[in-house]
Amino acid sequence: MKKFATRELSMAIALVVIWAFIAWQEPVFLSPRNLSLLSVELAVTAILALGMLIVLLPGQIDLSAGSGVGLAGAVAAVLVFWLDVPAPVALLIAAIGAVVVWAGMGALIAIERIPAFIMTLGGLLVFRGLHWLTIHNQTVPVVEGGNQNLYSLLTTYYLPAGAGYVLATAVVLALVASMLRARARRKSHGFEIDDGELTFLKLFVLAQFVLLVLIVTNSYRGVPLALVILGAVATLVHQLTTNTPFGRYLYAIGGNEEAATVSGVPVRATIIGAFALMGCIVALTGFMQTAYSGASTSTVGSLMELDAVAACVIGGTSLRGGRGTVLGVLFGALIMASLLNGMTLMAVSPEIKYIARGLVLALAVWLDLRMAKGS
Amino acid sequence: MSGDVVLSARDIVKRFGGVTALDGVSFELRAGEVHALCGENGAGKSTLIKLLAGVHVHGSYEGEVRIGDQVACFHSTRDAERAGIAIIHQEIALFPEMSVGENLFLGALPRRHGLIDWNQVYARAATTLAECGIGLDPATRVADLGVGQQQLVEIARAIARKPRVLVLDEPTAALAQHEVNALLELIRELRLRGTACIYISHKLDEVFAIADRITVLRDGAAQGTLDAHATSVDEVIRLMVGRRIEDFFPRRQPTRGKTLLAVRGLGVAATKESPPLLRDIGFEARAGEVLGIGGLMGSGRTELLLHLIGLWGTRTSGSVELDGSPLDSHGPREALRDGLVLVSEDRKRFGLVLPQGVAFNVSLSSLAKLCRGPFIDGDAEIAQTKATVSDLRIKVHTLDQPVATLSGGNQQKVVLGKVLMTLPKVLLLDEPTRGIDVGAKLEVYELINRLTGSGKAIVLVSSELGELIGMSDRIVMLCEGRIGGVFARAEATQERLLAAAMGRLNQAA
Repeated sequence: MKKFATRELSMAIALVVIWAFIAWQEPVFLSPRNLSLLSVELAVTAILALGMLIVLLPGQIDLSAGSGVGLAGAVAAVLVFWLDVPAPVALLIAAIGAVVVWAGMGALIAIERIPAFIMTLGGLLVFRGLHWLTIHNQTVPVVEGGNQNLYSLLTTYYLPAGAGYVLATAVVLALVASMLRARARRKSHGFEIDDGELTFLKLFVLAQFVLLVLIVTNSYRGVPLALVILGAVATLVHQLTTNTPFGRYLYAIGGNEEAATVSGVPVRATIIGAFALMGCIVALTGFMQTAYSGASTSTVGSLMELDAVAACVIGGTSLRGGRGTVLGVLFGALIMASLLNGMTLMAVSPEIKYIARGLVLALAVWLDLRMAKGS
Repeated sequence: MSGDVVLSARDIVKRFGGVTALDGVSFELRAGEVHALCGENGAGKSTLIKLLAGVHVHGSYEGEVRIGDQVACFHSTRDAERAGIAIIHQEIALFPEMSVGENLFLGALPRRHGLIDWNQVYARAATTLAECGIGLDPATRVADLGVGQQQLVEIARAIARKPRVLVLDEPTAALAQHEVNALLELIRELRLRGTACIYISHKLDEVFAIADRITVLRDGAAQGTLDAHATSVDEVIRLMVGRRIEDFFPRRQPTRGKTLLAVRGLGVAATKESPPLLRDIGFEARAGEVLGIGGLMGSGRTELLLHLIGLWGTRTSGSVELDGSPLDSHGPREALRDGLVLVSEDRKRFGLVLPQGVAFNVSLSSLAKLCRGPFIDGDAEIAQTKATVSDLRIKVHTLDQPVATLSGGNQQKVVLGKVLMTLPKVLLLDEPTRGIDVGAKLEVYELINRLTGSGKAIVLVSSELGELIGMSDRIVMLCEGRIGGVFARAEATQERLLAAAMGRLNQAA
């Protein structure tokens, strides 16, 4: 318990240092407009990282996620822009395709025992090639110039101020209710609980945070739809990993696959399911990232798998499986998104960006190993 | 034949935590003799060997080991090698993709100008192989050799270092009879040249064919050293088993119900291509009954259980029925659904998700039953886990305490709790009391009584003969993958069980 708290605290300090440094270099970082954009970027990074969490928990990995993001976005864009398919149908077709392909990769990994690392490394190259073939190396917009459709709105729609207030109130109430209920339940079961003051403090900080997000985004255009989608995905993944048999199986397989097998855990089906979910999330991220760029180009999605892995590891997910939480991943994604946004604002050259991303990934894994050894 | 003493161990005491593995063992080895070490599983043979091999380093035990007239202070296995002790382990440890010659001299390959001198490697390998009477081309890839030939290469590798003491730990476990003969011939040859050998084997006919003296270990203590030419197999078995004060086994009279598990004519091979390791196995376990299964290491006990839940092997013959309906090996999930569960001897590997909590582990096999809609009913899960924890008297601080922090006995109870929550009909318990303290052992025995009392059938695999006799209503002894003997509780004695496990039932009876 103590160790976990140290970890949370050090992550918070790291975030404050990063923000302070960027704001000192480029004060525009803290402008409502940039923070709103940051929240959309966070949503894209975090959703993919949550998918990566589902894959990492049973000890697997998906290196093809970034290429998949590009491909799914490209398929939907080509359907909409060149083939005049209605946006909702196009998104659905691309999403179903992704789920099928990822379930297939999962089957090869779980049944044929191809290491996930190699399988998805192959996927990375194959999907990148398919992506470029799909768009014929051109720029394919997600909507006719000046118009809107469901696809483009994913990252350009903002909730009206009033709806934002209603949503924020609902979120705070839900947080209070679920925290108090969980606390009561833990208490009745004789588990360790935080004392009342700390619980109040946590709730107070959370409510303040929600309010702050609301005020900042409302002073630009309103709460971005992307942030709402992130909230929904995070809630779903949290419920899935903590309160369903499937989620328990993910942790059990990552913790000790042989014991899980003997305990009657359907190891293969669970791993295939994890990859199928990853396919769904890759498609969603693909649509959002492509919409955020306005068009499918050959660079959309590039290296996003590494940002997702880094976000997971920074957030306390073990690369060996069996450990990781949704809240931690959200925090890790915030750090990654802030770094990327800040580097763009500071006009850091692409060369240096690559070096920085690589160092952050290596550093995060190294710290994770150090902490695992300590426990 | 009996030359100078080359190695002696005096009053060796070795403890692992609270368990005493060696309790004042003394032992001496003379030049040019073959000295056999005999004892049941867990008698302390391996511990003694590891001490001589430098695995248990100097200072981690009491007493002293002398090489010649000097006290041996081994701080690593290399020190032991330098002192002239070569050990051949039960498992073959060669590099399969390398040639016989490379394997023989690996770590000490002859060099010229910093590069490996291959001509010399193969020339010296050929000499060594010829000395050992092994007719192999040193350029052959080890993977292309049979298991028996590989074992001979392993021995040649040990001999290439010209050891003063050669230790052979169950060297014939994987060998066919003609290969065994070749090996024994080789050992006789070495003896003539003055090498001292320690020979460990469960196979007493081999021991009597080769050994000059025999030291029997039991419960970590030496029971005496016998002249092989002046003793008998029966005498050795009597010493191995001993007349110890029986542990307290609270087995109650069984009420036998219907047959829950029936195994008939079962043959199982590791893979489709290999010959069957288990042959013609047949037994029944009835409701309310404990069926004991014993056998020496490598007799196929664990493989049999793993096959029953569908984790190991391909069935080549026979059938398995669970409560009247055929059970084909699909996997543990199907076996569990049908009411057959396994508690493995290796609970950390096959039993527990160590970093997770008690509740997580206990409920893992029953999550489908604990669901309300798509979600796990947290209250029901905790209530059932609590009931299990108090029922089995598992000592925990909280239900989310990681099981890695529990003692061995409590970990074992967590595994038992997990399988019991699935409401099984038949429990396969593989060494359920290994590595747990006496108090927890008694609780496990009590639990076995309660479970059979409530109409479950239990298959108890144990290498402790006392435990088998104390807790089983009937006992099947396996011997090299076959049934060596079946005993009702009343007619089982440790001598007879051990004789059956060694395939010598008729001689000892």
